[in-house]
Amino acid sequence: MSASFNDQLVAVLPRLRRFARGLTGSAVEADDLVQAACERALARTHQFQAGTRFDSWMFRIVQTVWIDQLRARDSRRTENEDAALNVGSDESVRRVEARLALHEVQAAMNTLPAEQRVALLLVTVEGLSYKEAADVAEVPVGTIMSRLARARLALLVKLESGDALRGSSDDARTE
Amino acid sequence: MQGPSDETLIAYLDGELAGAERLAVAQALAEDDALRARAQRLNDSTRLIRAAYDAVLREPVPERLIAAARAKESDALIRRVVAQLGRWRDMMGERAWWIGAPAAASLAGIVLGAGLGYFVASQQGVTLAAQQAALNGNLTAANWLDNIAGYHKLFINAGPDDRQLMDVPADGNTDALRKAGQLPSDFHLPDLKPWGLAFQGARFLVVEGQPATQLFYTTDNQALGPLTVVVASSSKPDLAPTFDRRGDLNLLYWRHHGHEYALVGTADIGYLWNISNDIAWQLDAI
Repeated sequence: MSASFNDQLVAVLPRLRRFARGLTGSAVEADDLVQAACERALARTHQFQAGTRFDSWMFRIVQTVWIDQLRARDSRRTENEDAALNVGSDESVRRVEARLALHEVQAAMNTLPAEQRVALLLVTVEGLSYKEAADVAEVPVGTIMSRLARARLALLVKLESGDALRGSSDDARTE
Repeated sequence: MQGPSDETLIAYLDGELAGAERLAVAQALAEDDALRARAQRLNDSTRLIRAAYDAVLREPVPERLIAAARAKESDALIRRVVAQLGRWRDMMGERAWWIGAPAAASLAGIVLGAGLGYFVASQQGVTLAAQQAALNGNLTAANWLDNIAGYHKLFINAGPDDRQLMDVPADGNTDALRKAGQLPSDFHLPDLKPWGLAFQGARFLVVEGQPATQLFYTTDNQALGPLTVVVASSSKPDLAPTFDRRGDLNLLYWRHHGHEYALVGTADIGYLWNISNDIAWQLDAI
């Protein structure tokens, strides 16, 4: 294993945490998931093909570990992490509203089927192309395309039925 | 003229269309106000979705994850894996020793992640914070608890197949457990059947650079839940039973004559206290 492997792994940790947070909906579970994925990656360094995208390889491992965990137990969401909003008295009302809107988005994300959530996180949040996301999820590009569309439309309906989308996109940009 | 499907519109907004297909959608958007409004709403939702998770990128990455990512193969690890395979060969005979290879490989992954990982992280100067933590005894103790809580979760999250990869299976003999795990010479497996806890097997770990043995027990009693007992070498002075907590896990740990003991589970502290007394009495570790 080369030293650069570790460097790449450390460098991609913030994005792995973000991806895992989106999958699990929980900060604690997400970090446990990332740790388990790191351990699995380090045990399988020989499977990484030089010249391919390291982040995609790690996203695939995170997703695989997550699916294994889901299969091994009922997916349980232990917390809604209202505390994570960390609303302080010195924050402007505008900022608090923006945070609440973002919290609403996360809650809506958590209601999506697992495969749609994966597609949405990989493409919309992580910025992978459809082809790259399809490689990570190990499904055809067309499947990613349809899962993504279903997820985006479902989210649009959920968000428009709440307040998150109405007039809050400007706030979101400030986050 | 029929407008593009939602799938096609979203693919266009994601920059996934090219050529004539892209031009067709662009043309439709130019001519159809309703379609343009729908595209705008989708774009707005995209910004919200990204913003909802961007804060994670600005959070400090927990040390345990940096340590896990910094872990790497070392001579010590290789020796440990080879030794592990040797133990399997001794325990299972020449013909079947290779069955232990997956367990050793699995062990390697875990050792890399939490044991050597923390040490290597502190040695390589990943961050100033990591080095300071390594020098701080309290934080190191906290990390020990973080690790054993993490190992407990790995056990809980493991499927039945993974649990079959125990270093010592449920029917393994105590001698092998004692020798391989560097346990106290008078160690014998705590019998927790009176508590309804059935022994499921053991794994050998390295936690904070010290060998440790993790004993797994499960029960049908949901109020008690699965329990991990950790026995590790320690150079620290004796310590009275002390409670701590990691997430939804309760931990009760104590040190006695060069060994550290810990109970990890979701059981309430009353249960843990009584079970720890039982274990300490059985192991003469009180």
